[in-house]
Amino acid sequence: MAQLFTPGADAIYRLALMTGVACLVGLPVLAAGIVRSNYVTGVGIAPAQPVPFSHKHHSGELGIDCRYCHTTVDKVASAGIPPTHTCMTCHSQIWTGSDMLKPVRDSYAQDKPLEWVRLNKLPQYVYYNHSVHVTKGIGCSTCHGDVTSMQLTYRANAFEMQFCLDCHRAPEKYVRTPDQVWNMNWKPPADQETLGPKLVAQYHIRGGARLTECGICHR
Amino acid sequence: MSGALLGGPSAGPLIGPEETLQGIGGAVAAIPLTHPRNRRWWIAFAGAVALLGVFGFTLGYLLYAGPGVWANNNAVVWALDIASYDWWIGVASGSLLVSAVLLLLGAEWRGAVNRIAETLALLATASAGLYPIIHLGRPWFFFWNLPYPNTYDLWPQFRSPLLWDAIDIVAFLVICVSLWFIGMLPDLATLRDRAFVEAMRQSDAKDRTRKLALLRAQIYGIVASGWRGSAAHWQIWVQAYRTVALLGVLLVVSVQTGASVMLAGSLMPGWHSTLLPVSFLVNAVYSGVGVTAAIVVLIRVVYGLDSLVTARHLDVLGRLLLCLGCASAYCYAAEYFDTFLNGDAQARAVLVRRMTGDHALVSWTAILGLVLPAQVLWSARARTTPLAIAMVGLLVAAGAYADHVMVLVVTLTQDFLPSSRLPYGPDPWGIATFAGSIGLFLTLLLLFLRYLPAVSIIESRRLALARAPGTAAAAREAASRATLRPEENPGPAPLWGVSATFASHADLAAALQAVSGISPDQVHLDGHGPVPMPRTLRALGLEGRSILPYALAGALLGGAGFYAMCIYATAYDYVFLIGGRPRLSWPSFVVPSISFAMTTGCIAIHLALLVLNRLPRLNHPAFNIPGFLRASDDRFFLSAEARSDRFDAARFERRLTSLPVEAGRPLEIRRIPR
Repeated sequence: MAQLFTPGADAIYRLALMTGVACLVGLPVLAAGIVRSNYVTGVGIAPAQPVPFSHKHHSGELGIDCRYCHTTVDKVASAGIPPTHTCMTCHSQIWTGSDMLKPVRDSYAQDKPLEWVRLNKLPQYVYYNHSVHVTKGIGCSTCHGDVTSMQLTYRANAFEMQFCLDCHRAPEKYVRTPDQVWNMNWKPPADQETLGPKLVAQYHIRGGARLTECGICHR
Repeated sequence: MSGALLGGPSAGPLIGPEETLQGIGGAVAAIPLTHPRNRRWWIAFAGAVALLGVFGFTLGYLLYAGPGVWANNNAVVWALDIASYDWWIGVASGSLLVSAVLLLLGAEWRGAVNRIAETLALLATASAGLYPIIHLGRPWFFFWNLPYPNTYDLWPQFRSPLLWDAIDIVAFLVICVSLWFIGMLPDLATLRDRAFVEAMRQSDAKDRTRKLALLRAQIYGIVASGWRGSAAHWQIWVQAYRTVALLGVLLVVSVQTGASVMLAGSLMPGWHSTLLPVSFLVNAVYSGVGVTAAIVVLIRVVYGLDSLVTARHLDVLGRLLLCLGCASAYCYAAEYFDTFLNGDAQARAVLVRRMTGDHALVSWTAILGLVLPAQVLWSARARTTPLAIAMVGLLVAAGAYADHVMVLVVTLTQDFLPSSRLPYGPDPWGIATFAGSIGLFLTLLLLFLRYLPAVSIIESRRLALARAPGTAAAAREAASRATLRPEENPGPAPLWGVSATFASHADLAAALQAVSGISPDQVHLDGHGPVPMPRTLRALGLEGRSILPYALAGALLGGAGFYAMCIYATAYDYVFLIGGRPRLSWPSFVVPSISFAMTTGCIAIHLALLVLNRLPRLNHPAFNIPGFLRASDDRFFLSAEARSDRFDAARFERRLTSLPVEAGRPLEIRRIPR
């Protein structure tokens, strides 16, 4: 009696079955990996900007305060991107002939704003307010990373929901004293475990259940 | 038991008196292999594909424009979309329950019905399965409903019947596919062997025709996973089939609970009732039996399977419809009595609006379609008239659909708040979507009829064997005249083993008993045949082998794991206290855990079926046995695989030939090269 299949067919069939099972497990894992990769989230990637502005030089080395440029960070929802005038307060006096700064001078002369590439984006259905975070002891670096070490600015954290919830579920782990909010190198102090809840009470942060309500962010 | 319960002696035999093992295989396998009634099939297929095109078009428009096209509004959030889903899953539940319960009760006559019922269950689930996805505002995010490691750091709400439903439908699909596939596995092997015989017969035909014939055999062969009809295969197969059926019965209850508690758990008048889940289940099973009966009659007429699907089968289906019709009438009566005697004002108002309001036509269709037609079946003559059975089945199906629309729409159009009362009118896109889903169902059904065995070959064969033991004796008589041919010179090829051919299961069992004394170190014995061979198991030393521990372990581990996940998620990891529910709301996790347990149990059964039987194995030395293709037809084979050099083939053959003719002497003995 003849065989319908050659002996090699079994190896191929079993290989195909195992490949199918591996794909069934592997493809979702791969998809989950891609979704979380820097390629998708943009973490650590510094896109080309109209001017290669260095936070490390201006803020880290020269010590310019965050609020010198981002003037509304502690007052309203948006931190604010500085107008060309802010750059020109210094650069009308120093480095006036620099090629690198030509787009800034052009912008000033033509009264056209510089078009920076936005790094930190939130979906439209998320309500976020800078001032309430900054005035209640959440420092810049908690979300934006150590900007003073960035030669070219990049996204430090993927602003996925789990990132927000991590803090909203346990604000006492991240809350700082008011003088530390602008400290870009802040690490939780040794007594954060006792200090944190105290600060939370002091700032009147209603943590846990209140901060994790859907309507806090999705209004 | 149910054979005695349901099948009276009145309506004749369960299977035509002339049916033999080979004849059954031929009659059923001829449909997928030779495509009779080809022109009718193509006309029907063209119609079904046109409806499927409507489905594609409506889905495209739905994705483009959003679910607003369905005329659902702020008050009537659920209308034809959910009615269609509930109806399809109800038909699926009913068909699955029919097949599974008959299998578990061992109703001997089920063969002609169970394959069609299983297929309907699978296809109705496929049609239902799309609805929960497409009725979402953004269908491409359907997986947000499932617990998976996401970047939101959130869990789905395990207390919600919406989540139960997502788990249920996945489980239901797994169980339906399994029951259908496991039941069909031996039949696929029959098809494979017949297609292979056909391909070899065409060996002198044109190259292209021959290759196509061979390809068809190979496709059936791949799907059949190398089924050889070995006694060990059959033993596990019988257990696997029954166990999946048991899981299916449990799942039907779980699925209908998910679908009905979504309504009953709300506070809406007309829904908020403990009776609702019961009437949901009854009407679901009822509509499933109705559709099954209608399709069974249709297939019987089109393919002329009168001797396999006999008047007796129609009679039994008629009795089932009658019983369920009475149960459905009881549910309606109980709802009306209870509401009018004890119900609150809102509930009474809903009942009045059902009968006299804007949707009175729908309500009366439901009540009349579900209650009245089945009463015709008190008459024995109506029960054996195919047209009557089919018409009752279709009316019941229509009534069940109208019932879902009535329950959903009448309640939703008039909420407690007068400000949120909105009318709901006929909605062309919703109707088109439902018609399209029927197109999907019919297309798949026609493809199934064309390429797969519509009636269970194996179950019909068991029935024929039980009814006509004389055929085996006749075959043996014919065989006693045949010459035994132990080959004198086995040739230089290395020996794989010895095979012997028998005409009946009894002969094979007797022969195996006679040679069972040989040490398993020397020889591996096995039997092969077209039906389960329980009498060979003792001789083969396979008695007591059971798939149950695997099924039980799979179901318990899966169910416990899911339950633990629900508790961890809702009570510890993501405490989200809403609606006054306690932190550990354990009862609400039971339904999805049971559904998930059925899924994992079913997967465990599949793995056990394959691993315990060393399948899939497409190429096996047993296929070298001359005439082995008849192992899936009407012959029984003994194979003795040599395990060591000490195996004395000549002595083995002498032992077999010395057996008395009436107790195990083979028709033929062969030596099989490796």
